[in-house]
Amino acid sequence: MENELKQLIIDALDLEDISIADIDSHAALFNDGLGLDSIDALELGLAIRKKYNVKIDAEKEDVVKIFSSVATLAAYIQAERS
Amino acid sequence: MMAASREFEFVVRKWNAWVPGMKCHPDWHDWFNNQDATEPELALISTHVPKLLQRRLSPLARAVFNAADACIDGDVAMPVVFSSAHGEVNKSLEMLKDMQRGEDISPTAFSLSVHNAISGLFSIAYSNHQEITVLAPGQDGIAAAFIEALGLLQEGHDDVLIILYDEPLSEFYPYLPFALTAKTSGALALKISWTGNGLPLQLCRSPEHRNDGEHALQIFSFLQFLVTDEPSLQLGNHRHSWVWQKK
Repeated sequence: MENELKQLIIDALDLEDISIADIDSHAALFNDGLGLDSIDALELGLAIRKKYNVKIDAEKEDVVKIFSSVATLAAYIQAERS
Repeated sequence: MMAASREFEFVVRKWNAWVPGMKCHPDWHDWFNNQDATEPELALISTHVPKLLQRRLSPLARAVFNAADACIDGDVAMPVVFSSAHGEVNKSLEMLKDMQRGEDISPTAFSLSVHNAISGLFSIAYSNHQEITVLAPGQDGIAAAFIEALGLLQEGHDDVLIILYDEPLSEFYPYLPFALTAKTSGALALKISWTGNGLPLQLCRSPEHRNDGEHALQIFSFLQFLVTDEPSLQLGNHRHSWVWQKK
């Protein structure tokens, strides 16, 4: 699941120079970590909705926590789908 | 300096352009003689542009960055006047088609489709925090960008960068009876100031009624004016006409 999510991040955000091995599941996705920004967050939210049919509602959910790393994102998606 | 008779004298300190098939400046004459032979290609951009920003650059944005880069001295920031009739409207059209198919719109595509998206990326990539203006003069052609830039010089800025750019409009849009799209993309950057070394020009209104086409076509007329010995260039599109004179 985590590797699948990493590939989704690479594809959806056009991160051509980055491979799955470069993304640490527990490292920050935004700002200091991969250096992604708020537009990437929106794009990733859309990609996750399309692929997993999981909608991350910015009004209701703690999006900062959910999007903090690949591990937290994967855990959230798995919890929502089960 | 500005004269009472509405003549504006200024100097083109540096200029550079990007068109498909064009890599370097000395070949401009060849490019004009062999326009049909050019193959579309992606404009090269400075390696100083951060990787995460590079992925956001459309072919048109890359053309703008390529043209502008040669006019920028190191990291000296100056006001920039961007001018494009159509901007990224082809991107907007693709999104409208997605919507029609019931698909979700990409937030990234939307954010990069607005008329000042390229100027925003440029400002971030070059850490240029000076005044940035983006015009969509369409029918009125390229003169508006010069007027805007001269206004900025008049406010006291030493240099102003003008960037004229357009790409061919999607065939979805009816061209005729208008002259609003060129055969290829083009980006032309000109760094201007009141004085200094370079090409001195004078700009003033012309009483002639002319039909030189809209902004996208006028970019190429001006480029040709720059690389040839033509002493002057008149451009107008049914409304106001302007004349640029080499001094």
